[in-house]
Amino acid sequence: MTTANDVLAALQSAFPGVIEEAKVGPERQLWATIKPDRIVDVCKYLRDNHSFDHYTGAVGVDKIDEGLFEVTEMLASHGAHQVVALLKVKTKRDGPSVKSLTGLFWNANWYEREIWEMLGINFEGHPELYPLLLPDELVGVWPWRKDFKGYPDYNTAERAIERLTAEGYTEYSIPPTEAEVKAGTVQKERPKYPTFREREEMEIKGESEMILHMGPQHAVVPGPFLLDILVDGERVKKAFLDVGYIHKGIEKILENRTYMQGIPITDRLCYMASLTNNEAYCGAVERLLGIEAPERAQYIRIILEELSRIQSHLLGTAEFLTLIASAVYSPFLYMIIDREDVLTCIESVTGARINHSFVRFGGVRNDLPDGFKDMTLDTLKMIREKTEEYKELFLSDSIYRKRMEGVGVLSPHDARRLGVSGPPLRASDTPYDMRREDPYLLYKDLDFDVITRKEGDSKARVEVRLDEIFESCYIIEQCLDQIPSGPIMAEGIPKKIKPEPGEAYYRVEDHRGEMGFFVVSDGSDKPVKVKARGPVYAYMQALPPLLEGVYIADVVAIAGSMDACTSEVDR
Amino acid sequence: MVLSAITEFAAQEPKIYGLVIGLIAAAILAAVINVVAMLLVWLERKVMGDFQSRYGPNRVGGRWGVLQLGADAIKLFTKEDIIPRGADKPVYVWAPIVAVATTMLVAGALPFGALIIDGREIPLVVANMDISAFYIEAALSIMAIGAFMAGWSSNNKYSMLGAFRGIARMIAYEVPMGICVISVAIMAHSLNVVEIVEAQSVWFAFAQPIGFVIFAIALITDLGRMPFDQTEAEEEIIAGYNTEYSGIRFGLLYFQEYIVFLLGSILLVHLYLGGWKGPVIPVISFISPMIWFFMKLVIVLVALIWIRVSLPRFRIDQVTDLGWKILLPLSMVNLVWAVVVGMYFA
Amino acid sequence: MGISDVIPLPVAVDKELEKWTIWGRPLTDVWFTTTEKIHEIIEMGPIKNVLNWGRKNSLWFLMQPMGCCGVEMLVFGCPHYDCDRFGIFPRATPRQVDVMIISGYITRKYLPAIKNLWEEIPEPKWVMAIGECAISGGPFYDSYNIINDTSKFFPIDVFVPGCPPRPEKFIEGFRELQEKIKRREDKRGY
Repeated sequence: MTTANDVLAALQSAFPGVIEEAKVGPERQLWATIKPDRIVDVCKYLRDNHSFDHYTGAVGVDKIDEGLFEVTEMLASHGAHQVVALLKVKTKRDGPSVKSLTGLFWNANWYEREIWEMLGINFEGHPELYPLLLPDELVGVWPWRKDFKGYPDYNTAERAIERLTAEGYTEYSIPPTEAEVKAGTVQKERPKYPTFREREEMEIKGESEMILHMGPQHAVVPGPFLLDILVDGERVKKAFLDVGYIHKGIEKILENRTYMQGIPITDRLCYMASLTNNEAYCGAVERLLGIEAPERAQYIRIILEELSRIQSHLLGTAEFLTLIASAVYSPFLYMIIDREDVLTCIESVTGARINHSFVRFGGVRNDLPDGFKDMTLDTLKMIREKTEEYKELFLSDSIYRKRMEGVGVLSPHDARRLGVSGPPLRASDTPYDMRREDPYLLYKDLDFDVITRKEGDSKARVEVRLDEIFESCYIIEQCLDQIPSGPIMAEGIPKKIKPEPGEAYYRVEDHRGEMGFFVVSDGSDKPVKVKARGPVYAYMQALPPLLEGVYIADVVAIAGSMDACTSEVDR
Repeated sequence: MVLSAITEFAAQEPKIYGLVIGLIAAAILAAVINVVAMLLVWLERKVMGDFQSRYGPNRVGGRWGVLQLGADAIKLFTKEDIIPRGADKPVYVWAPIVAVATTMLVAGALPFGALIIDGREIPLVVANMDISAFYIEAALSIMAIGAFMAGWSSNNKYSMLGAFRGIARMIAYEVPMGICVISVAIMAHSLNVVEIVEAQSVWFAFAQPIGFVIFAIALITDLGRMPFDQTEAEEEIIAGYNTEYSGIRFGLLYFQEYIVFLLGSILLVHLYLGGWKGPVIPVISFISPMIWFFMKLVIVLVALIWIRVSLPRFRIDQVTDLGWKILLPLSMVNLVWAVVVGMYFA
Repeated sequence: MGISDVIPLPVAVDKELEKWTIWGRPLTDVWFTTTEKIHEIIEMGPIKNVLNWGRKNSLWFLMQPMGCCGVEMLVFGCPHYDCDRFGIFPRATPRQVDVMIISGYITRKYLPAIKNLWEEIPEPKWVMAIGECAISGGPFYDSYNIINDTSKFFPIDVFVPGCPPRPEKFIEGFRELQEKIKRREDKRGY
């Protein structure tokens, strides 16, 4: 079994003098600082010789005191071993530039674009360094830099200037304030790049082709994003994706909040998975603090997170059904009814339907209420019966199978290359589940199967979700049996949390895939940098290649089977 | 006094008299059909609610929500009427009218049940023509023109896709549907819907089971209802051919769909389920055919609503595949079957 | 303009006719009239009540989930809460709706699009701000990309607080809007 130490030793022998600084973390994590000009070689070596084939993401940190930007590349493996390599590259604050990894890992594209538009770090060799999340007017102000003072402001709308266009539409522009002009945070020269519209229109080749806009408001989108498909008749030739319509800047906001105040913000990262988002954030901070939640609290977290997984999968499947059928398709409504029962169970503990803010550093907010066990067991029994029924329905419905079988096939190789995780990856015959791979909480003591499917098509993705509902039920039942009595909060946690300076990375299995939080602390009560590595960000990046050559009706079937959550993509 | 004057006038000017009477009948028919279509929308929403453990409308107009459609109609007919700048204005304006007018063409030839007066069945039909089955079939296909006009003239990509889908689907399904009608006509020795109903001592649904199934599928396709509602697949192309329509024009298209739904179901009842035929109920023998007709109609309507809430949507290429590759050969088989059985009974 | 200007009538009759009123307007206004006048009269009279009854009972809303509230919006249309009871249901095209629900944060990138959507909706139309984000920016009030005062851009009739509001609150918001339409107190004056 490969350990972080082995990888480090191999790296040091293969690249003498390239690794400037290295440390092996407790949780099979390898932290290393690499010389900037060799980062591509190191990553290539790790990918080819040590099967680090899972590019998890990149984080850009503004170390303003040292006059540096740090870019951390996160590499992991799809099941060959459990080591996470976090390779840092440093670059100067004026004229920052690092080498791009897009040549090695296809899915590095979006992560690097995001760092470019937010921090202004240039990526040498990146094929399309265009803004991803930000509107055009904000490109060039680099909002995530620490010396960014332009916003926040509290009266954006009052400053808006109204203007009537020639076509009769009202348009608004929001001019900068004097303070912003003085601080020099207003863009003076906008970087030159073609806009999204221009880029997609360049692809139109023939008379019979047109671009069909699906979004930002369209029945297919679970939240605003723009999916533009270049169609020739009913065939899709190419797909383009524009996200960022609800980009809230959560990571910047978290930097302006104390650690405790950050928990409600992480709720809103993805509204279907607020408990796992809490868990990932709290887990990372717990790692920084060096504490662990008591056993009962860990069980409570598992129970609630699995209940939350059930409701998320039910809603995800239900939304998907509305896409391939219609909003009056009965099974969709039946699933929502079932979900309400699950929500009742969660609500009896957390008091909320969607945004729970329940997990705390070193524990949970409150204990399980009386009668929770019986209520949950009843609900689970019902959920099992119903899920059996749905599975049977989908198996026996020939229209459903005609629509779903062989549509949007993601081969195991492609799925890994595109960086998807969670149910879409497991549907492509890759048993990659954080609960097994990198067990957090008490998952290593629990018995459950990692559901996989061979086919990798839309039908398999939905089946994986339905089967995972059974596994979640089984996990909850075990937890309810085993849960000990005891405290629900670890002892000696200060009211004001100030972790030691350092970094931590913590990953959990979100309902939709691998969710990681990267937290950097400088010893104060606010984090220096929080990076949320969400699963849907990776799905969405992988969506356009999947859509090439399918019918328009398949677009919704594929996009729906991915179970996207725009809120998390845009953050 | 007045009556005698009218009869005198009728004797003198039979043509004008026939025209006036026809116009009056058409007006009554149009009014009745619109009201029934509204009731049908209401019925669909209530029945769908029942299938989905909901209530459906129950606030407007008492606990059954019967006035819901009145409210919808008032709102739709008084809303702003937008004509997009890029639209082909005359075509855009005429499309809903063409759509509704063609449905009325169907309504003119379709019997709405029968009454028994003096032991004789009087079918309630505006125009009892010899080739009414053929005529109805033709008029049903013209309906796609209205939808196509709407979709093409809107200058909207979704609308255009919806319109193209509609035409592709119509061409694929009118052929097997027409062959089914021919098979029925062969067995009934007539193209007149009234005579086809009279000829059904055994329901044609039993005499030609294959034909019945093909006709039902083709009919659902023609009506554009689930699982064949690709023309207005909300999740793919927003609202299909009527995406750009608002206010009263959308209202017309919206109610037109339900009028066609009603007329199509009536056609199905007439051609395959024996129309108003049924044992005479003793005391109310006067309206007993109406009762049978109405019962059959409601069953067909509810069955179609049931299909709508329980099946996913086909993809457009699968729809045309089904039409050309499966239904067309099967309808040929059915035609041969109808000829053989028809000759045997003749 | 009096009737006697058009039809030769005794002045006394004209005087008498001017006393006749319909819903507070002289009857002569109705006889010699333009569409604006008809509109004004409908505006005042009981016909308007009938129209408003129809409108308030048939509020179709735009299917446009934007954030956490989008999920609750979906549930609002489903069995437990069933908005169809009130004649409320979602449509996907802005041309056929009456109510736009702003169910989340409006960002700088989304503002032009949502403004277009609003202008595509035919009159009479109403807009509801649902959730803290739509009202004041909510938990993201200090973000660099959020418009925190939505009411500057849209004539919002009903604010529904909550983060996200429960589906019951959606029903309450719609009831509030219905009441406003009935009492003619909505922002755009229908």
